[in-house]
Amino acid sequence: MGAISRKALLAGALVVALLAVPIVGCTSDSGSSSDGGDKGGDPYKIGVVVSLTGTYSGLGDAEKKAIEMEVERINADGGVHDRDIEVVFEDDATDEAQAQSAAEKLVQQDKVLALIGASGTGQSMAMRTAAQDAGVPQISMAGGTVITSEFDPLVFQTPWSNTLVVPYLLDYLNAQGQTKIALISDTGGFAKDGVAVMESMVADYGVEVVASEVFNPGDTDMTTQLTKIKGSGADALVVWSAGKEAAIVLNNAAALDLGMPIYGSHGNARQELIDGAGAAAEGFIFPAGKVLVPASYGEGTPGYEVATSFIDRYTEKYDAAPSTFAGHAYDALYLVVEAMKRLPEDFTSEDLRAEIEKTSGFVGIGGTFTFSTTDHNGMSSSDLVLYKVENGTWTVMQ
Amino acid sequence: MTGKDLLQFIVAGLSSGALYALLALGFTIVYASTGVINFAQGEFYMLGGMLGVLAFDSLGIPLVFAALLAILATTAVGVLFELLAIRPRKDGDPLALIIITVGGSILIQSLTRHAVGGEELATLPSFSPGPSIGIAGVTIVRQSLWIWGITAVAVVGLTLLYRRTRFGKAMRACSIDRDGARLVGIDTARVVTASFALAAALGAIAGVVISPTVPPVFYSGASIGLKGFAAAILGGLGNPVAAVAGGLTLGLLENIASGFISSTFKDGIALVVLLGVLFVRPQGLFGGRSREKV
Repeated sequence: MGAISRKALLAGALVVALLAVPIVGCTSDSGSSSDGGDKGGDPYKIGVVVSLTGTYSGLGDAEKKAIEMEVERINADGGVHDRDIEVVFEDDATDEAQAQSAAEKLVQQDKVLALIGASGTGQSMAMRTAAQDAGVPQISMAGGTVITSEFDPLVFQTPWSNTLVVPYLLDYLNAQGQTKIALISDTGGFAKDGVAVMESMVADYGVEVVASEVFNPGDTDMTTQLTKIKGSGADALVVWSAGKEAAIVLNNAAALDLGMPIYGSHGNARQELIDGAGAAAEGFIFPAGKVLVPASYGEGTPGYEVATSFIDRYTEKYDAAPSTFAGHAYDALYLVVEAMKRLPEDFTSEDLRAEIEKTSGFVGIGGTFTFSTTDHNGMSSSDLVLYKVENGTWTVMQ
Repeated sequence: MTGKDLLQFIVAGLSSGALYALLALGFTIVYASTGVINFAQGEFYMLGGMLGVLAFDSLGIPLVFAALLAILATTAVGVLFELLAIRPRKDGDPLALIIITVGGSILIQSLTRHAVGGEELATLPSFSPGPSIGIAGVTIVRQSLWIWGITAVAVVGLTLLYRRTRFGKAMRACSIDRDGARLVGIDTARVVTASFALAAALGAIAGVVISPTVPPVFYSGASIGLKGFAAAILGGLGNPVAAVAGGLTLGLLENIASGFISSTFKDGIALVVLLGVLFVRPQGLFGGRSREKV
């Protein structure tokens, strides 16, 4: 009798555990608001939607870490108008529907003043209706062009958009005389967007796309696509993908002895890519911002100071250098916080949106931001450099 | 498109297909002993890759032992999962068991994410390093030989186990009629535990053997699990040979479809063929009249 009830108890406990886990995945946790001690007034709330699970978890993880670290710092420094910043995090699981419901929850239930997110382009687009319904500004940390090209006064973007990065890379390809390119991309929003931008711009740079192949997130082998590319007569392969699959492309390409230079996107600016592809990553070239090698900002410049200070603090706290995605999160947070500081103490979301739009010459990690009523990305190609993977690390080219 | 390209697509298809086959074997074994689809099968694949890389990179264990350790540890997880989650459900209600496996899958994934982190790990070195092998202009990656070899050993070993050993016969009896098997004195609970151990080991083997090319990450079990499930259904959930045939067929379909039609429709075409096969042959390509046969 005793044995049976113990087993029943065990089974019950297990069922509870199983049921509890998915809920853990969707719960939010608030950034601590007491770090700065007692302050006057209620904290200013910012809602953050990031991908902590799913394909973009590597991006979202870094973004959350950067925001947590910086909010702690801002609150310890006295917060904004002597009030704390309180951040409410939500995980969208790299899923558009979940990003939308997370954003709805943040504006309806938590009454946040601004939304930061998401990690991915599709997820960022899915958050938009929630931002519009509540009239709350949204700062996306994803690189898809649609985020700011399908213009909404409420929506801003911190990474270099594809419309900025694609011509930068095409210009280089043209200069190298590599005018026939093959594309391989995943089926995610960022990559689809990059390919669309690429196809619309190649003619302007005298470049031709001779093959365009895709793969799905989660695929384990791209040999077939690369075989077609090998026979396509391309001078170079361009990979447009932000997930872990880029490493598989490099591994398969090396095994096939593809025999052409391989270029990537700013979505590949992660140490994990080099770790995942090992020797196959050697010679891989991708454009990205200057944060990977701060010296490229130019020593002593404001950009250099901001970046090295952030890198030092991040590295000390998390024992790893920040990725570019951590930098996008830093920029998103400070664009909001700096605008809050410029406003009088009692401001509305609408005031905040207008003030963010007035941002001019803000020196962040990704570059120097100057927004206007028509440009909500705010960066220029001078904020980009080309990196090449050499001896297991990236070096700045030219 | 040349004949050489076709051969290359076939090699790629057989290579992915062998991976799906190892997963499909896991589905088939658990289905045979319990009558349910184990939706945690993909997590065993994920654990195999993750633990292999952790053992090799973080603990500095030599490659062979790191791989073996990962397989053993994952097998232990499979056994624990059966003892703690499946066995307490005494009536063996299939729907309840399926939901338990879905829960188990989420649990394993979440725990791994919290223990190891959200980013993908590094890849393992190749089991036998060196340039790819070129035969008549077709490239064969060395690691593919390992995948094929292991799949072949697994299918032969399992067939022998089922046909030649007492335990294998007990497993078959259990799959035909669990109550009947129990009446003639077979310890059916032990058979179910053993089937989870085997399924976990096969999943882990697949995970370890692919990790020189594919960086393991905590969420990678779901998509490959779905492929393995599709392969098992395509084969007919019948016997080890059917599972392997299903896996290889799926891999070939995917790669030939993306080679000759378009990589955009790779999964779509494979799915349409799967549905078509099931429409004509609901028991799967290689399933017998009775699905209970192992």
